[in-house]
Amino acid sequence: MESIFGLVGDGFAVVAADTSAVHSILVHKSNEDKIMVLDSHKLVAASGEPGDRVQFTEYIQKNVALYQFRNGIPLTTAAAANFTRGELATALRKNPYMVNILMAGFDKEAGASLYYIDYIASLHKVEKGAFGYGSYFALSLMDRHYHSGMSVEEAIDLVDKCIIEIRSRLVVAPPNFVIKIVDKDGAREYAWRESIRDASVAAA
Amino acid sequence: MKLDTSGLESAAPLVGASSGFLDGFADAPSFEVPTTNDFDGFQKEAIQMVKPAKGTTTLAFIFKDGVMVAADSRASMGGYISSQSVKKIIEINPYMLGTMAGGAADCQFWHRNLGIKVCRLHELANKRRISVTGASKLLANILYSYRGMGLSVGTMIAGWDETGPGLYYVDSEGGRLKGMRFSVGSGSPYAYGVLDDGYRYDMSVEEAAELARRAIYHATFRDGASGGVASVYHVGPNGWKKLSGDDVGELHYHYYPVVEGAVEQEMVEVAAA
Amino acid sequence: MSRRYDSRTTIFSPEGRLYQVEYAMEAIGNAGTAIGILSKDGVVLVGEKKVTSKLLQTSTSTEKMYKIDDHVACAVAGIMSDANILINTARVQAQRYTFAYQEPMPVEQLVQSLCDTKQGYTQFGGLRPFGVSFLFAGWDKNYGFQLYMSDPSGNYGGWKAAAIGANNQAAQSMLKQDYKDEITREEAVQLALKVLSKTMDSTSLTSDKLELAEVFVLPSGKVKYQVCSPDALSKLLVKSGVTQPAAEAS
Repeated sequence: MESIFGLVGDGFAVVAADTSAVHSILVHKSNEDKIMVLDSHKLVAASGEPGDRVQFTEYIQKNVALYQFRNGIPLTTAAAANFTRGELATALRKNPYMVNILMAGFDKEAGASLYYIDYIASLHKVEKGAFGYGSYFALSLMDRHYHSGMSVEEAIDLVDKCIIEIRSRLVVAPPNFVIKIVDKDGAREYAWRESIRDASVAAA
Repeated sequence: MKLDTSGLESAAPLVGASSGFLDGFADAPSFEVPTTNDFDGFQKEAIQMVKPAKGTTTLAFIFKDGVMVAADSRASMGGYISSQSVKKIIEINPYMLGTMAGGAADCQFWHRNLGIKVCRLHELANKRRISVTGASKLLANILYSYRGMGLSVGTMIAGWDETGPGLYYVDSEGGRLKGMRFSVGSGSPYAYGVLDDGYRYDMSVEEAAELARRAIYHATFRDGASGGVASVYHVGPNGWKKLSGDDVGELHYHYYPVVEGAVEQEMVEVAAA
Repeated sequence: MSRRYDSRTTIFSPEGRLYQVEYAMEAIGNAGTAIGILSKDGVVLVGEKKVTSKLLQTSTSTEKMYKIDDHVACAVAGIMSDANILINTARVQAQRYTFAYQEPMPVEQLVQSLCDTKQGYTQFGGLRPFGVSFLFAGWDKNYGFQLYMSDPSGNYGGWKAAAIGANNQAAQSMLKQDYKDEITREEAVQLALKVLSKTMDSTSLTSDKLELAEVFVLPSGKVKYQVCSPDALSKLLVKSGVTQPAAEAS
């Protein structure tokens, strides 16, 4: 089942997410990228109902882009997170929504940061966070091994620890994960951790 | 019991309730409420009743020569088979197909809507065919805007556009997935089993069609709600073409011919006493 | 002949002019002058109070300067009742932005949103333009200290030094002459007072005819909007040599 988690290191933030698209007992796809590159220096990892997840994150992405076109300056990660929270809270009053969000970003002044927004639109600035069934394993592992000022190698090591633990202890463990990173050079894909290769990857 | 909606009116009726010639007009609007104590349950059941094509097997996959699309043809309402000849592969336009799982009416209506209101108008406005990516996204957005209102659609949009073959899974919960291989419906786990095992990207059209047919056949064999005819379509650079439509009963005897078993005990006519 | 096109704000004259907007600008030409100067460590706003009377008792200490948010202030020239409406919408916009993003609104965005409102009143039917020009002084983390000037048409621009109200042309050309790029806030205050004293119609410059406000950043990093008290202003006037204490007696 869905697992997304992330942490802040020294001058960067990493987020990882499973890549399974599940419907009842069926895995429709095992390379669904659930981490959106929001803008040049922001990442949004989301879990929740697939329709809500895609629609909501795309809505946020387009609004952040609109802000940049209108005002010529990018939103800070903090501003984008607060904006996202507000939009989710407003949307929740109109109809049910189910999206959990981890937003990672890098700003010149604030450096790397990670924001945790759950499905009822509460916002926290965190140094590590997780959603979904995998969070039970990822959270305790990150509590145990996290320390401030981690290097990229240390952080990826920890992310891999979490992935291995989820794969081995969670009954309905997803096979594949994607890891993305954001630092001063921008937001980008870092690596895939695949134990099953989907046909689409093989053919592409 | 009648549900009185006069409280919803903004103004009180102008004339008294029984003023002769205005009878029937001056009455506050109302409608019959079904005689039940569990209205929510009744409503849920009513919604289920209009979804006859729940049990289905449909599949589609991309391979080197395009997209193969296949489906069964059975429609059932609970235990009753209401039709054995449903067209579950909907021809959106000469280059795009949609598959039908879930509510037959919902699928049919929205595919037709996609074909004439979205894809055709796009062609007229832009002088080029819509991409599979675009069409599936528009359909997903429409379905998402109706979410929670009882639509039931599980579909695959398969086609050929300027970028080559395209395949998307779209459902009424708002989900939309791009992929190389999908199966939808109650028989899909069975179909996936055969499909995943036999799939290779560099299959020939004949091999791919046979794989699709076989996957549908095996799904209809195990899934009671799927059956009838296994139709197979191929979408290539020049549009779609229907390749076959075989009765799964006949397919069964084709794949597994009756073999004369060894007779353990011959029945011998007893000589007339 | 232009009479036919005067009465509607939304209609161009054959020469391509919007008379109502020009008349609004004309109205501002009679209002008290306001000058703004951008310096490297702050922004200075000074204004001339037109209505002064011993009997007048106002609730606010300033009549031309308004704080819009912690980091933005403005000086007004024109019809005050119109200005009050716009100041209110600006304040609402600033708070709305803070509500949505939990950080102060960038100064230019605030100015732009206000100018969009102004523009609307020059285009939609049955309305008249706002008879107000503004000077906005502010600070934000993207562009530091900023000074903007806006007019009734909804045009705005960023300036190093600007003047609105009566004699703004004369003031502007004096500023152009005397402005230096590396000016400090203290020097900016002196320059502003000097320019104002020369462009004002009244002969003597006293603290009760003046308002002075500054926007700068405290060592703590907080943005401060400070209005100069009449006493301090009197001392400043003497110090900058605009008025002599003896001259007042004579």
